Amino acid sequence: MTASAAEAAVMPEAVRPPAPLRGRRRARRDRAGYLFLLPWFIGMLFTIVPFFASLYLAFTDYDLLTPPEWIGLENFTAMFSDPALLQSLKVTFVYTFVSVPLSLAAALGVAMMLNRGIRGLPWYRAVFYLPSLLGASVAVVLLWRYVFGLDGIVNAFLGRFGVEAIAWTSDPDYALTTLIILHIWTFGSPMVIFLAGLRQIPVMYYEAAAVDGASRWRRFRSITLPLLSPIIFFNLIQSLIASFQTFTQGFVMNNGGGGPANSTLFYNLYLYQQGFNQFNMGYASAMAWTLLVIIAAFTALTFISAKYWVNYDN
Amino acid sequence: MKAAGLGLAAAPALAACGRGFGGDDDSGDGVTLNMVWWGDAARAEKTQAALDLFMERNEGVAIEVEYQDSGPYQDKLATRFAAGDAPDLMAMRMDSLREYADRGALLDLGEYEGDLDLSGLSDSAATLAAVGDSVFGVPAGLNTIGFVVRKDLAEQYGADIPDGDTWGWDDLAAFAQTVSDASGGEVYGTGFDAQTLANIVVYCRQQGEDFFTEAGELGISAATVQSWFELIDGMRRSGAYPPAGFFEEIGGGPDQSYIAQGKLASQIIPTNNFLGYNAACGGSLALLRIPGETRSVRRGQSVDCPHLWSVASASKHPEEAVKLLEFLTNDPEASLATGTTRGVPANADVAEEIKPSLEPDDQLATEYLMALQEEELPRSYTYPPGGSAIADVLDVIAVEVEFGRTTPADGAAQFIAEAEGALAG
Repeated sequence: MTASAAEAAVMPEAVRPPAPLRGRRRARRDRAGYLFLLPWFIGMLFTIVPFFASLYLAFTDYDLLTPPEWIGLENFTAMFSDPALLQSLKVTFVYTFVSVPLSLAAALGVAMMLNRGIRGLPWYRAVFYLPSLLGASVAVVLLWRYVFGLDGIVNAFLGRFGVEAIAWTSDPDYALTTLIILHIWTFGSPMVIFLAGLRQIPVMYYEAAAVDGASRWRRFRSITLPLLSPIIFFNLIQSLIASFQTFTQGFVMNNGGGGPANSTLFYNLYLYQQGFNQFNMGYASAMAWTLLVIIAAFTALTFISAKYWVNYDN
Repeated sequence: MKAAGLGLAAAPALAACGRGFGGDDDSGDGVTLNMVWWGDAARAEKTQAALDLFMERNEGVAIEVEYQDSGPYQDKLATRFAAGDAPDLMAMRMDSLREYADRGALLDLGEYEGDLDLSGLSDSAATLAAVGDSVFGVPAGLNTIGFVVRKDLAEQYGADIPDGDTWGWDDLAAFAQTVSDASGGEVYGTGFDAQTLANIVVYCRQQGEDFFTEAGELGISAATVQSWFELIDGMRRSGAYPPAGFFEEIGGGPDQSYIAQGKLASQIIPTNNFLGYNAACGGSLALLRIPGETRSVRRGQSVDCPHLWSVASASKHPEEAVKLLEFLTNDPEASLATGTTRGVPANADVAEEIKPSLEPDDQLATEYLMALQEEELPRSYTYPPGGSAIADVLDVIAVEVEFGRTTPADGAAQFIAEAEGALAG
């Protein structure tokens, strides 16, 4: 302390090295940061151990009751000849590739509607956001069963147009569709993010375009979409990852079974059944790592594609 | 409704000894047993009453209870074994028994013959958890399935209820047809799940086959599976049985059931639920046996149990755990406290003794089960390891048949192939 004070006294302002005091201040500032991160680090400990344990278990035959036995790649090769696993992949892919674009489109549509400076915006925003808070919850999936039940509201409505009652939840041809509709309905969180993004777009662009006589569609295509593309990109990645990991909807809709006839057997649901019902924890671990690779691959693809359509305007 | 009520209640472990000698804690010779099971608060209250009695009589033994809903229970139990933290005494599902027992996780209760007396149990009950020469569980209570018929609906639509002891499957079809036709489709005469294992098992036994054989293999033939699918399919086509997609996972208890709603005139229920169903149906239910019992190759019904009690082989206090099991099984006072929350007491004398204390509907269900136990029934063999996967296979194929995506014959062949694959895997 005294040494540095002496140094400071003899050195001209310009060449004075960063004062130790400053370094200490930075350390103090960093310490605060680390302190805030501490809960995350502690949480990490609880994640990192199971994380690597499951990587090890993926290469073993492990039934939870007797010690795991190393079997190399057998779990992974077995997946290719497991019809239920292939079915679960199909369900998960169909669900993801149908519901993600549709729910993002719905989110963007509602966000644009709300962006017109209507009165009571916070209220509307909350109302549209509400389903996302509830969407994956047990209570709503149960409620959904009634809405789509044989005597439910949907059939009553369709009945007015002479459509025969559809078994939305118990017919294997419709059960997944019902869950996709439920997913689309929970567009709240991308909607809120879109809304924030829309408000960042300077109004002058639209004014200029309007002066030039651009149509509404033209303004959407040439102003809104490009300027919003980073946000679309973010929402797409988020939804994609979440959708691949869907579990609750399939679990609750048919009492943990993925029924009817495995038409809602999501990948994660099948993983859970293997691990906890069939005592194939090694296989379940291998499935979990395979899913990680699948998600990583699709995320990477999305990132690569971003070059062509995401516009980081400077 | 597996997903509801994840609550984990731990009853306070009552410290053993008191009476002011020294006021030591129970770290000395005190033993704490950990006991886990699934069920609801009402069952918890009854169970705790029995446990309090046990602790009163056995100073130095404390019992720490954990209970939850059946879905999460199953996950938690597996995880606790994996973590080397097995409970001492636990509720065990019939279809999980051998998953645990074959891997050495459960205590062979046969070795505690002197402490645990199973001589009061009927053969059907005592062999439920027998694997080879070992016994890995004791039924926590007994039940079976029965056919319930709405007397009021039968009368309203002019259908005579057949003799429940001697009726056959064709009598059921005729009865159901009459109700469906007379009600103009408002009420279906009968409806029960093709995919519920307990149902097809009875039908299979009636045809002289064991669903699971003594060797732990699949004993049912494709022809029997096919005729089971055709039996239901025929009734569905004629309108006696509801159309495809009718049964939805509506959840809830007897109050929400189709028979209580008046949409069905008859269905199959576990007999220990008779009280609840009859109350939900305004006391209008008759309890019949499953059709075909006297008209087929042999008897099909069997004595079953809602769950077993098993002791972990890793338990540090096997003597005390077995002692508690003996108390729960053979002491009338324990059963007086628990009633029929887990079915009829396994010990026939105990069941007889507590019968007068039960509600009339419970007495009826108890008599039904006691009568069944006294008859000569073919032995049933428990699920082999991997057997629980068969329920999933059946569930998928039964729905495919229901919606006409596959024929009963093709579905049956597919079932046999996949079920055998599940057992071999």
